[in-house]
This record gives sequence, structure tokens and C-alpha cells, in this order.
Amino acid sequence: MNIITLHDTLPAVFAGRQPTHSEIWQRDVTFEKGKNYLVSAESGTGKSSLCSYIYGYRNDYSGTFAFDGKDIKTLTIEQWCSVRTHHIAYLAQDMKLFPELTALENIMLKNSITHHKTVQEIVEMMRRLGIDNKLDTPVSKLSIGQQQRVAIVRTLCQPCDFIVLDEPVSHLDDVNNLIVAQMVMQEAKRQGAGIISTSVGNNVKISVDKEFKL
Amino acid sequence: MSKKNNDNTSKSLLWKLLRKHISASQLVGFSLASLIGLTIVILAVQFHQDVKPVFDDEESFIRKDYLIVTRKVSTAKTFLGGSNEFKPQAIAEIEAQPWCRKVGKFSSNDYSLYATMSVGSMGQSMETMMFFEAIPTEFIDVTDRDWKFDPEHPEVPVIMSRDYLSLYNFGFAASQGLPQVSEGIVSSVPLLFTFRGNGRSETLKGRIVGFSNRLNTIVVPEEFMKWSNERYGSGVERDPSRLIIEVNSPGDVKMQRFLDDHGYQVAGDKLQQGKAHYFLNLVVTIVIIVGIIISLLSFFVLMLSIFLLLQKNTKKLQDLLLLGYSPAQVSKTYINMVAAINAAVLVVAVIIMLVSRASYMSMLKSLGTDGGNIIIALIVAVIIMALITAGNIIAIKRKINSLWIHSS
Repeated sequence: MNIITLHDTLPAVFAGRQPTHSEIWQRDVTFEKGKNYLVSAESGTGKSSLCSYIYGYRNDYSGTFAFDGKDIKTLTIEQWCSVRTHHIAYLAQDMKLFPELTALENIMLKNSITHHKTVQEIVEMMRRLGIDNKLDTPVSKLSIGQQQRVAIVRTLCQPCDFIVLDEPVSHLDDVNNLIVAQMVMQEAKRQGAGIISTSVGNNVKISVDKEFKL
Repeated sequence: MSKKNNDNTSKSLLWKLLRKHISASQLVGFSLASLIGLTIVILAVQFHQDVKPVFDDEESFIRKDYLIVTRKVSTAKTFLGGSNEFKPQAIAEIEAQPWCRKVGKFSSNDYSLYATMSVGSMGQSMETMMFFEAIPTEFIDVTDRDWKFDPEHPEVPVIMSRDYLSLYNFGFAASQGLPQVSEGIVSSVPLLFTFRGNGRSETLKGRIVGFSNRLNTIVVPEEFMKWSNERYGSGVERDPSRLIIEVNSPGDVKMQRFLDDHGYQVAGDKLQQGKAHYFLNLVVTIVIIVGIIISLLSFFVLMLSIFLLLQKNTKKLQDLLLLGYSPAQVSKTYINMVAAINAAVLVVAVIIMLVSRASYMSMLKSLGTDGGNIIIALIVAVIIMALITAGNIIAIKRKINSLWIHSS
């Protein structure tokens, strides 16, 4: 997958409202593989909706999203599974971790279907983020900030063309923000992937090729 | 890390996640209901298979579409000397009926006859007056090769009513302290028949070649009857008092009316047999229906249980799908669980059926049958379980597929 294009898209809940000043909604937008994008937004402007449309678990919008020109509403479930394991790495705002599993189990749940990282690599990433002592701790026992770091490691455990991050550092301090930014950019560079990151203020400190105001 | 290890990891992690909210009591409830339903159905099917041979005895004289007809015996006839025989024109009239295929005449002996049989080790013997009847061989479906008579080496093959043996075993032998005998022993016991008539008194050897559940008489080959009547009888040809009729359909209303109008009676055995068979079928059908209803209910209990489980795990299932797990991978956890439960129920139901069968077979054996085949009951069990499992799998897959798109 090389490009994601948006043509005249608008969340269904916004239908009928006055035309917005959004640089995303009701515009033609292209995200290219290998480039980094920041989508900054105020709360309630459809930031998480944008991510859920691209990741295919909601379709309550008008207009067209396309992967390499193919309307994503035509993708089959099998194709979506392939997108989610090989083309788009996604970090949801609410992280979607399983609280009853340990930090490592949560990550292995993803890695065991992508076969992307070794356990050593995973532990090394966790060490960089300062949570290698939490490997066997159930996620329910971790702080929000620790959970966010576990979720970021899990997101990077797959081959991808785009990394979509929905407020990846909302609960992180500057130091960890920087580490996350470095790790994400390294992984993206290694795979030649693009990064689409959203933020309501606390931006992940990646170098950005283009910024959109939602 | 190898791919295989990874697969095992994902399986065990999925199970760890998804087994939450599985209600053991609901599953036990389902398993029991399902077990009871399935066991009832296959036990009923098996019982029907096992009991059927008693009704459609292989060695029986008369298949379903044969009737034995007599004239009604009334008190007046007994005293006034009316005839109970079928005159040739009456037989011709029956033969002309559209429901009649073939008519066979029973002929009986026209001489006095005694039978002697040695019983017990002390050389006791039993002598009795008796009679023979014969019908054309084409009406007899016993294919014993001894069912013939050769005047050069006279030996009399006999087919006897099984009731006579029971009468001896449970009536006579029991009261006289004589040993009870099986069919096999009786068949091997030498019989002597003494014929008196026409100035002769001769003794011939005889042998029982078969037993009949249906025909309440003692039958010899027609050729022997002819030979013996010529040799010992008065030479006067008598009309038959019983007829055997091959009919198109024993339940024919027109036929029933004809028989009633002419005062003919169908042998009670046949009618009783028909009724007993009818009730057997009715009871088995009712039992099977009850079993199927219980099975259906258990199916819905399991469906409800699974739906509740999926409902409670909805968020988890959706999150797994977001990680890239396919609906098939996620469904598999539940499908494996259901398949394992259903397979266990199937095995236990079959075991219960076989154990129950063993306990009633000893009873059936005394009725002279070894029971039917168990293949049909097994096939029924597998089909029912396969259908239930297929229904479960389809429902699980549909439910999980419906989680794919989140409502906003």
C-alpha cells in the first residue's frame, strides 16, 4: 500500500452542518508512504473517527477513502485482516489493551499473528521505555502512562506501510515522548512506512512533513 | 521464535481471554439436556430396530401381505352341522376380487395321527394325538432344503408354531418337573409319527425344521399331505376350512367389507400382530419426538448460553478483530469448545444406549430374537449431533461477523 486518499469525506454525524474550515473533511487529501503527517485537532472534530475509518471498523461517513485508489468499502474481511496485520499499524486512543493479560501477553497476542519481532526485541523496546520490569504484570495493575507505552510497543510489532497513532503520547512525559518518537521513526524508516499521528496538543515529537488542521 | 510456537501462543492467549464469562453451570445444563435428548432418540431408534424382528420374523410363514381366512364358527353351526368349509365357488369368488392376488388352500389330514417324542434323560416319552395341515409351498417363505417329501425315504419335515413350544416349556414341563427345551434341542429330538387309517398302521420319522410365530398350526409339505391322505385316508376329498390369501394391501377397506359381508374371519394372530406393531410404532414415534424436542430445547439452551457469552465478551472480541485476528480465528475458540462438548455428549449417549440395550436384550432374547443392527442408531446419533454442531457453528460465526463494524 503506497497511498491513502480521502475524497470529500465527512463523518455522518457532521452531515448537514455548515462547511467547516477543516483541512481534512470535504477535501481531497493524500497520505503517502514514507512521509510523516500530523493531524492536529480540537476535541470533537472527528479525530478518532478519521482513524476508525482508515482502520475499517467504522463506516458511518460520506465520501471515499481509498487505499492505492481502491475504495476501502469494497474490501473483504480477509483483506481487512491483511491490512491490520501487514499494512497499517494502529494505536487507538483508548489503547484497547486486555487488562487481564500481562504486558508481555498483550504484546505477544499481536506478535504471534504477525511474527514480526523476537521476544528479545520486544523486551529491548520495553527496556527503552522503562517498563521492562512490568513484563509479567497484568495490564490492569499498570498506570495509564505505562499502559500507553505497552500499547506503543504492541503497535510496532507488525510489518506496515503506515503507522496510525491516535494521540500516542497523551499520558507521557517529555522524556518518554521523545523515546516514543525515536522508536516510531526508527521503525517507520526501517520499513519505509509513513506516519499519521493525531494530537489535541501534546504532539509526539516526530519530524513532520505535513500538518493538517482537522 | 518459530511460527508454530507463535500459533500456540496465540491460541493459548485467545483461550485465556475468551474463556472468561464461560458459565460452567450453563454448559453443564446444556450437556445434560442434550445428553438426555440424544439418548432418548437413539435408544428409541435402537429399541425399534431390536424389537422389529419379533414382528417381521424372517422365518415366518406369512409376510405382511398374506391373510389367513376362516369362516366364523357359530354355536348354531356346531349343533346343526353347518359347514365351515370354503366351497369351490366361494374360493372362485375370492379369487375374482381385485385385492386378491392368489389363494392357497389349507388341507388337513384325513386319518388319525399320533406323535411320540422322547424327552428327558430317563427315556420318558410323550405321546399325543395330533393333526397336520399343509399349504402350497409358494406361500411358505421358509427356504429349508429339507422342506420336501420323498416317498422312497419317508421322513416328515414339520414346521411348528412357536406357541406350542412355549406351551410345553412354560406349562407342561414346568408343572411336571421336566426340563425346558430350546428350539435347537427340539429340532434335534427324534419324532415319531404313527399313522392309522385305511387298514394300515405305520410309523414314520419326523423332524421339526422350523418354528413360526404367526401360523398357529403344524405344517407339513403339501406333497406329503397328498401322499399320506391317499395312503391312510378315506379317499374323500374335503373342501378346505382355512384359506391363505395373498393380498395387495392388508388394510384395504373394500376387502374388509367383503370379508365382513361373507362372514369370513381373518386369523386373530395377524390382526393382533398388526395392532401390536402399530402401537409399537406409535410409542416409538412419540418417544422419538419427545427426544427430538428435548434435543431442540438443549440446542437453544446452548445457543442462548453462547450468545450471552459472546455478548459479554463483545468488546474483547472487537478488540481482537482490531488487532488483525480474523473472525474465523476468533470463532475457532468457541467452535472448538462447542465441538468438544457435543462430541462428548455423543460418545456418552452412545455408551448409555449400548448399556441400556444390553439390559433389555436379555429379555428380548427370550422372545427369540437377537435384536437388530446398531448401525442405524449410530448414524442417527451422528446426524443429530452433526446438525446441532453445524447450527452452533453457523450461529457463532454469524454473531462474530456481526461484530466487525462498530456502531459509532
